Amino acid sequence: MGMDLKAVKSLLEDNARRTWNPLGIRESYCGQWAQGLNLPAKGENLLYTGCLYQMIPYIEMFSGMLKRLESLGPTVFRLAMGANKLFNSLGISTTSLLGITISRAERERYFSILRTIASALRRAGVEFAYMREEPYNGVLYHDLGMDEVFGRHVRRLADRIRETGAKRIITVDPHTTYMLRYLMGEFVEGFDAEVIHYMDLLLERGYEPSGKGPKSVAIHDPCYLARWNGLIDQPRELLSRAGVQVLEPEFSRKFTGCCGGPIESLLPSLASTIALKRLKELKETGSSDVVVMCPICLTNFSREARQVGVRVHDITEVIG
Amino acid sequence: MSGLSEVSELLRRASQDPVLRTALDRAIASYWKKRKAVMARYPYIVKLAEEVRKIKEWSIDHMDELVSRALESVERAGGRAYVAETADEARRIVGEIVGTGKVVTKAKSMTTEELKLREFLQERGNEVYETDLGEFLVQFLGPKPMHFISPSIHLTREKVAEFLREFMGVDVDKDDVEGMVALVRKFLRDKYFNAHVGISGANVFAVDSGATFLIENESNIRLSVSLPPKHVAVVGMEKLVPTMDDAWKVVEVISRYGGYKVTSYVNTIMGPARRSAADVGPDEYHVIFLDNGRREASRDEILKQTLYCLRCGACQYLCPVFGVVGGYWAGLKSAYSGGIGVMWEYVTGDKETASYHSFACLLCGRCIEACPMKINQPEVLREIRKRIMETF
Repeated sequence: MGMDLKAVKSLLEDNARRTWNPLGIRESYCGQWAQGLNLPAKGENLLYTGCLYQMIPYIEMFSGMLKRLESLGPTVFRLAMGANKLFNSLGISTTSLLGITISRAERERYFSILRTIASALRRAGVEFAYMREEPYNGVLYHDLGMDEVFGRHVRRLADRIRETGAKRIITVDPHTTYMLRYLMGEFVEGFDAEVIHYMDLLLERGYEPSGKGPKSVAIHDPCYLARWNGLIDQPRELLSRAGVQVLEPEFSRKFTGCCGGPIESLLPSLASTIALKRLKELKETGSSDVVVMCPICLTNFSREARQVGVRVHDITEVIG
Repeated sequence: MSGLSEVSELLRRASQDPVLRTALDRAIASYWKKRKAVMARYPYIVKLAEEVRKIKEWSIDHMDELVSRALESVERAGGRAYVAETADEARRIVGEIVGTGKVVTKAKSMTTEELKLREFLQERGNEVYETDLGEFLVQFLGPKPMHFISPSIHLTREKVAEFLREFMGVDVDKDDVEGMVALVRKFLRDKYFNAHVGISGANVFAVDSGATFLIENESNIRLSVSLPPKHVAVVGMEKLVPTMDDAWKVVEVISRYGGYKVTSYVNTIMGPARRSAADVGPDEYHVIFLDNGRREASRDEILKQTLYCLRCGACQYLCPVFGVVGGYWAGLKSAYSGGIGVMWEYVTGDKETASYHSFACLLCGRCIEACPMKINQPEVLREIRKRIMETF
């Protein structure tokens, strides 16, 4: 027993060793979103994405594959997790993942979310640098209890951040925000950069978004944003400044319901079921437009959106 | 023993079971409505819960001291007190008190489920009846109690009606819940009078008085433990608090967070019946203080949070994973359910199975909001993951 979990661990360790990314994705890919924006490599402020948005197309592929494996039953699932050969034959080995080029259209949506954040920050008068080779945030290792790999990962990340000379890190997703604020200190000695979520920064600068999407949305508070980072009023304020009406589901704010995403890499069917249930709660607000502020929620919901009859938007796609 | 793929398969199947989903949806919607009403009417309960958290922290840090004082209190009041280090030892003690060929009535108790006490006593030739309606259904319909306070949360009233129709051989209307309750009550009524032993757990135990507290809504507990000549209470060591005053606070917090504006009955049992005509109750009062992993957990900085659990079930009702798989999470062999169930199984049962089940947690943290003790389940479950990952 323990074969499957052991296999998961060694797959992640393998990829971490080769690419510093659990899915074997290169850091140069993670940094591609900023091409043509002429952002400096050094500066007081650093916009650090953690690569979660960029990884969405790959997560989609990986999760779809896992679900197929899972549907074949526990024995096949365990064998597959244990046997790299079978992994390869299903076209899901990390090397073939690397070999697959995600089409421009597939990645464009997520790159564009990041570019929208960057241009909003610029319009609000914030100068910032970015890392051309952008490291992944390491959160999956921590979630799975792989503290050794996580420690190694974030110590390197801390060095990379130090090289940029940043005093303040601007984050774009709740998981990276939480990790930098609350986990870095535990694993990296003397890490004391200030961490600010872009929404806080935009509000602080009096940013007035123009609004470019639906005029009325059901709001889904991401667990890590609302409960673990305490950012609850910020997205509501930005949406209201953009003239968007916000509809609250029954489970909202501190009692928000999870999208299911955090377990999709190990238990994909269960993750889907949870996403479906939550989307139905959101649809009961009367709006078929759901707004989220987290790449994990975005991917896990998007997969099930059609079945429920809703559209899922990142907040940046609504406020502009 | 089960690996991650077995857990995945078990939970996938459960999440696709339409009857389970209907039952869970109804129970959760009803709880949420009641909880909001309770919080609105008794806003002070949040402060009281904070006070209880401090009482629990102190008590868990002084577990050994409380156990030895509890032993004295019980004996002083004329009862018999025991310490059981393991589940086996607890079963042996109860087995000796009960004997064979007896009739036993049971109050709903998760701690006796942990010991698989009903099955143990049945194997030794005793007739054992669960007297809580939900637990009675679980005894006959299985597969296990799926929630701390609502053990038959996985059953719809349609399923229950179908079972009772066959079991009692009478016509049962699926929409007449009161009628079904009455049927079971009538069936159990003469069991109480014929029983030799009544067995209960404890919601909380006041050390200064040697008092076992039992909260209930059906009056079945009062009958189960006061009519038979012997009462055996199995008390997990985490249930001990210093004083009666502390215990009453715990009682109020459990009831409110369980979703009750009023809990119908609170029993406090402080020894066997005295020899006076006015005092009814059993001649023998046996209290077994159960360790079974609790003392070890109380010395573990992260795991000890498990022992703050009051077993009110709030976190289970509000967990998104529990909401679709119920008590399948933690496994059917465990008495416990959900994320908190995985923690309890890890402390008191099969660490390996619990470790695999820990990977189903979303780490979303709604349980922390739900919990009166603010137990950080994601932190504990992640720690359990870490400990098994380190072995690979």
